Amino acid sequence: MTEYLIRRLLQSILVLFLVSVAAFGLMHAAPGGPTQMMISPGLSPETAAIQKHNLGLDKPVPTQYVIWLKNMLKGDMGYTFKNNVPVGDVIWPAVKNTLVLMSFSWVLSLIIAIPWGIYNSTREYGLSDQTANFVTYIGFAMPTFWFGIILQEFFSLKMDWLPLSDMYSMDKQGNVGDLFMHLILPSTVLVLVNLAGYVKYSRSSMLEVLEQDYIRTARAKGVPERKVIFRHALRNALIPIITVLGMDLASLVAGATLTENVFNWPGMGRLFVDMARSREYSVLMAITMITAVAVVLGNLIADILYKLVDPRVQIGRKGGKA
Amino acid sequence: MAEKLLEVRNLTTGFLTEKGLVKATDRISLAIEKGKTLCLVGESGSGKSVTSMSIMRLIDYANGVILEGSINFKGEDLVKKKQEELRSIRGNKISMIFQDPMSALNPVFTVGEQIAESLRLHQNKSKDEAWKEAIELLRMVGIPSPEIRAKQYPNQLSGGMCQRVVIAIALASKPELLIADEPTTALDVTVQAQILDLLQDLKEKLGTSILLITHDMGVAAEMADHIAVMYAGAIVEQGTVEEIFSNPSHPYTVGLLQSIPGFEGERGGELYTIKGTIPALGNLPQGCRFNPRCPHVMDKCRQVEPGDIQVGDEHYAKCWLFEENGKAAVAGKGDNIHG
Amino acid sequence: MSDMNAATAPNVQPAEPMAPENAPLPPSKKPPGPWKLVWQKFSHNPYAMTGLVVLLIFVLVAIFAKQVAPFDPAKVDMMNSNLKPGSGKHLLGTDELGRDIFSRLVYSSRISLMVGFSVAIIAVFLGSLIGAISGYFGGWVDTIFMRLIDVMISLPGLFINILVMAIFGTKMIYLILILALTSWTGVARLVRGQFLQLREMQYVEAARATGVSSWGIIFRHLLRNASFPIIVNATLMVGGAILSESGLSYLGLGIQMPQTSWGIMLSNSQEFMLINPMLAVYPGLCILIVVLAVNFIGDGIRDALDPRQKKSRRRLAKWRKNFSKSGI
Repeated sequence: MTEYLIRRLLQSILVLFLVSVAAFGLMHAAPGGPTQMMISPGLSPETAAIQKHNLGLDKPVPTQYVIWLKNMLKGDMGYTFKNNVPVGDVIWPAVKNTLVLMSFSWVLSLIIAIPWGIYNSTREYGLSDQTANFVTYIGFAMPTFWFGIILQEFFSLKMDWLPLSDMYSMDKQGNVGDLFMHLILPSTVLVLVNLAGYVKYSRSSMLEVLEQDYIRTARAKGVPERKVIFRHALRNALIPIITVLGMDLASLVAGATLTENVFNWPGMGRLFVDMARSREYSVLMAITMITAVAVVLGNLIADILYKLVDPRVQIGRKGGKA
Repeated sequence: MAEKLLEVRNLTTGFLTEKGLVKATDRISLAIEKGKTLCLVGESGSGKSVTSMSIMRLIDYANGVILEGSINFKGEDLVKKKQEELRSIRGNKISMIFQDPMSALNPVFTVGEQIAESLRLHQNKSKDEAWKEAIELLRMVGIPSPEIRAKQYPNQLSGGMCQRVVIAIALASKPELLIADEPTTALDVTVQAQILDLLQDLKEKLGTSILLITHDMGVAAEMADHIAVMYAGAIVEQGTVEEIFSNPSHPYTVGLLQSIPGFEGERGGELYTIKGTIPALGNLPQGCRFNPRCPHVMDKCRQVEPGDIQVGDEHYAKCWLFEENGKAAVAGKGDNIHG
Repeated sequence: MSDMNAATAPNVQPAEPMAPENAPLPPSKKPPGPWKLVWQKFSHNPYAMTGLVVLLIFVLVAIFAKQVAPFDPAKVDMMNSNLKPGSGKHLLGTDELGRDIFSRLVYSSRISLMVGFSVAIIAVFLGSLIGAISGYFGGWVDTIFMRLIDVMISLPGLFINILVMAIFGTKMIYLILILALTSWTGVARLVRGQFLQLREMQYVEAARATGVSSWGIIFRHLLRNASFPIIVNATLMVGGAILSESGLSYLGLGIQMPQTSWGIMLSNSQEFMLINPMLAVYPGLCILIVVLAVNFIGDGIRDALDPRQKKSRRRLAKWRKNFSKSGI
């Protein structure tokens, strides 16, 4: 296990390193990259040169990268060029807000999707299965932000049942009930999108297991059908589902860019778009790296979970996935 | 004749395929006596497994449907029972072991748990009792250090060991009938012999009847009291093991026996192989289903399907060659040998 | 998942492959080719055919936008702003600047479809090329490309799109290129897999040994084995690109005024939700319908390739319900 973990960890670090090089390179390759952005246009060439020097922008790009990497590893993500705020002060609140929205809708999706998919696997092409199929098709073909706008128009503007946007009402910062009301619409959008994938996945995972020989053995033993489904089949069907869930862990941190923008949710997705528009490179780099770390970590967790729940996979052996 | 434990009459099982309804078994009739072994022999694709799955009524879960016939087990017709009612019979009075032991065991439970589950289902044993008895069962089927093995997962056991575990599960409730569907096909030759010995042993010890499904006439010769030969969904010949081997009648049976190394064909002496392949079930020839491959084919064979014709004591064959020997019967009209 | 027949009914022979004695093929008739077989199954799939017809209609509308649209989509007419549907010649009314909504929808379809199809074509080309190089040469070339894919998929595609559009500017060509650059990985893996399989095959070795160019064999093999999965992948990419375009345009990082796309119309609509809520409904529905149509086509091709026969499974479920006496 340790040996496997170390190898996977080294792989992850390599990927993260490549991501950081690519992102840094991309931002410096851009016309009007950080160099121009950091220097006020009105400055005389001499002052500009001094400012460049102070900011380290006169050094070659590779050197700048090394300096940035060193600071990053020390936990220093730099400052925004506008207002000179530490990047961490901008990012961590956004991470927190995104976590609230994403984990709420994620857990809700799973509570609905997995039982629904299992039920559908036992009643193929029944009414419930057809409904799920319909939801899946719509969920995959619909622009999510459009669904959000339609929900806003109906539930907020027309019926005035739910708040239009934001995380809290103006005078109710930190109020949990108010937060819940604000969560309903964006979560509905995210749940629908998640359902499209998860219901289909848990159904097909379950169907595959139900066709296995050991299910026949269980029935031949006289195991009641309910137990065949929930004990013998489910334990096996959950293995690939867990893997997929692990991979989706990253979105809890990365956020849902479009949904957050529609509902003006102060999370990572919205921050990223705002920062991209105003070209706050240090914030963009930080968000990119945090997202990449989350993805890599999610995959790692998925891999480890997979090896823990499936006794067939010997830990440490390469290519264990069946 | 001894008391019959299981009597199958005119069992027809169908599947829906792209080409419409296909009958995987066509009016199968067979009977198993108490404490005896019936071997169902035939090539793959002849409907042997469908027959066994139909008797267990597991065919319902494999998208098959029993279209007609009855399965009489100790005075009850299994065809008429609901799945709920079958649960107290399956794994309790009738058990089944399967072809591929590696895939027949649930990979996420230890073998001990899987045996104990069967005990707890049918005998209301406590968890500890069931576990202890599971270990005893493992010992009985010849697994060394059963206390350690019980805690292992199927993937940690060899194929032969897995099959022993499957047998232990099947025997947990001392069933009256054991259906073994090609129990040795997926195993090494040396292990095959061990498993067959084990089955024979347990049959004598526990008095269990066995329905053994195999494609191997050699296995049948070793294990069977009675033999039924299946071809393309129908039983073409059946009788006692002595009758079948001393007086094989249906040309298909003769052909099968020729395929055993060292067996001398009694008919004519010249060696022939069965030409052609088994027909697709959706595309059976008119008349006798064996006629395109039969070396003795007559005009009648191409037009009318033969029924069971008695060729010896407790020995029947579906072949027009023996029309004059016994009472001729046309298939489908009173096709009932044991009535 | 394994073949249905094999998995559920171990001893039932599949009905299709028949022994030559039983069904001799008439010598004059050639067996239908793979394209024809797929088309046969595809054309019997009502969803796929509906998708195809709908997509064709949209394509025709996009091509003949000038003829179809009654008004200039960019013509501002403040006197006639926010007209109700059916007012005068304005089929769906006008927006806040008095522009004809129907005409704008028609012209938007041009952009959306063009982005969708160009992205799919470029991505398929790029993916096939990289997959082929990676699979053919193997070794460190393969390692580099596979690491590149690892890097690509460790960031959400939308993130990269936003980043590039924000940094490099919102030109349409950038939009198409960056969407293509973030969607080729699936095709690359597919083609690479085919190549790895090919390298193991004896006849490629043999061809190489006799001096015949192995590229010819490889190309034919690839065409036979990978073309349909690539097409399925590509159709799904068309849908994905249309959705991404609308998303980016909604964020103001995609298509820019005065060009018009469904995404821009949506972004615009959110500001005027109170005045004219229907502004948001039409473009969204257009996107939904087009993407649905494309996805139906993709699924139709995939099902036509799938030996498991979805349709018969559905029929079978019905049939089983009617006939089975078991009550399970």
